[in-house]
Amino acid sequence: MSGVAGRLRSIPTWEITLFLALVSLGFLIAAQVRSETPRVRYTSQERAPLIETALGLQAQQKSLQAQILDLRSRIASAEVATQGSGAIATQLNDALFQARLSAGLTALEGNGLVVQLEDAPQVSQAAGSADLLVTGRDVRTVVEELWLAGAEAVAVNDERVVSATSIIDIGGSLLVNSAYVAPPYQVKAVGPADMYAQLAESASWVDFVASRAGQNGIRLAIAQPASLLVPAYAGSVTIRYAQPPASSAPSANP
Amino acid sequence: MHSRSSQVALAVVALVLGFLVVTQVRSQAGGTGLEDRSAQDLTLLVANLNTRNDQLRGEVADLGRQLDSIAAAQARGDTSAGQLRADLVRVRIWSGVDAAVGQGVRVVLRGPVTAVVLEDLVNELRNAGAEAIAVGGVRVVPATIAGGVPGSLSVEDTPLSDPVEVVAIGNAATMTGTLTRAGGLVAQEMATNQGLAIEVTPADRLQVPATARDLTPRVAKPRL
Repeated sequence: MSGVAGRLRSIPTWEITLFLALVSLGFLIAAQVRSETPRVRYTSQERAPLIETALGLQAQQKSLQAQILDLRSRIASAEVATQGSGAIATQLNDALFQARLSAGLTALEGNGLVVQLEDAPQVSQAAGSADLLVTGRDVRTVVEELWLAGAEAVAVNDERVVSATSIIDIGGSLLVNSAYVAPPYQVKAVGPADMYAQLAESASWVDFVASRAGQNGIRLAIAQPASLLVPAYAGSVTIRYAQPPASSAPSANP
Repeated sequence: MHSRSSQVALAVVALVLGFLVVTQVRSQAGGTGLEDRSAQDLTLLVANLNTRNDQLRGEVADLGRQLDSIAAAQARGDTSAGQLRADLVRVRIWSGVDAAVGQGVRVVLRGPVTAVVLEDLVNELRNAGAEAIAVGGVRVVPATIAGGVPGSLSVEDTPLSDPVEVVAIGNAATMTGTLTRAGGLVAQEMATNQGLAIEVTPADRLQVPATARDLTPRVAKPRL
């Protein structure tokens, strides 16, 4: 024992330092190689301005969404302010509040469940790893399962799922309500306290987890916050083609 | 000599180490998800973001006009009931609470129709701007899900007969074009589901019913 200790003591300090630095170097090289995700990295020059444009448009989108929410809130306040003017206005305002609630135009808070999806780690696309990427269909499946579990409001990366919501793959990206959302994908739901229990009992959910997380290695995580806020839909509610049937034309009594 | 060579070796290792640390940190922090997209993918994304932002600008303009109109009505001492009523009709149709009529497409599916095919179709119709959709006479709202196996599919506990009919109100030309383009959804589904036939017909006037679901949240509370 004393021989080994003596030999260790005889090693120069600089060699120990170099050894430790080389170990760190090896660790970092390995980490760097492993961090290359299945999504192939491109290095062409024309991408830089496109990324810049996309990020600029995303920032514009956030700003426009904030303006929409602000205007809706001001309209709702202004409408309420007219209530004193008559019973019909009061009745219409109440009906409008309910309609907005049903439509997803109001943020909802309650018992929460969050399902997070991420691409499977470490496998290169060259190895034919399309199944290792989270797709729009995966996210739609999670959204459906949450509805089946009793969710009353669902959002994907804070894009509220409403009657007009599409979740599509486009150019390797995911668009929700035509808004670009970046991975990891967080599907948030508010609803009854037993949502997770309902989800866990669903045979189709168990199949999904076994297939996508179990076999393909998609990373899936679940959280149950005691209270969660699902934001209001911040997109267009314009209708151009759909009209009420003649028999149900607007009436004074909502 | 020893100390000089050790200093040089350490300096080189430290330099490489520093470079790798920065690279690693940057690769972990690159949260936009755009870094690994091809130029073609990014072009497609930019086009979509532009379209979406145009829609949002239109919505901002509409809401601004609506707010001005309410303010003007208040200034005149009116109740603005007409404005409220129009808003109510629009939101109720949009959400599925009320029935709707208008131009659109009728899609008829024959053969081994699966729940996934129906879900893909509804998703694509929404993406093409459908304002109201019904599957087998059932209005599609956010929580509407098709289930079952081919031959015994159902939507909202309503069994679907063969053929399955899907009706969507919206721009008939846009929806028809989106569904039937080369490599589009119809071509993809028919190529991957042997025996499946999908027919898309534009129509000047179609009707979709109101949802039978109560869309009012029971447990969750509104945050105003």
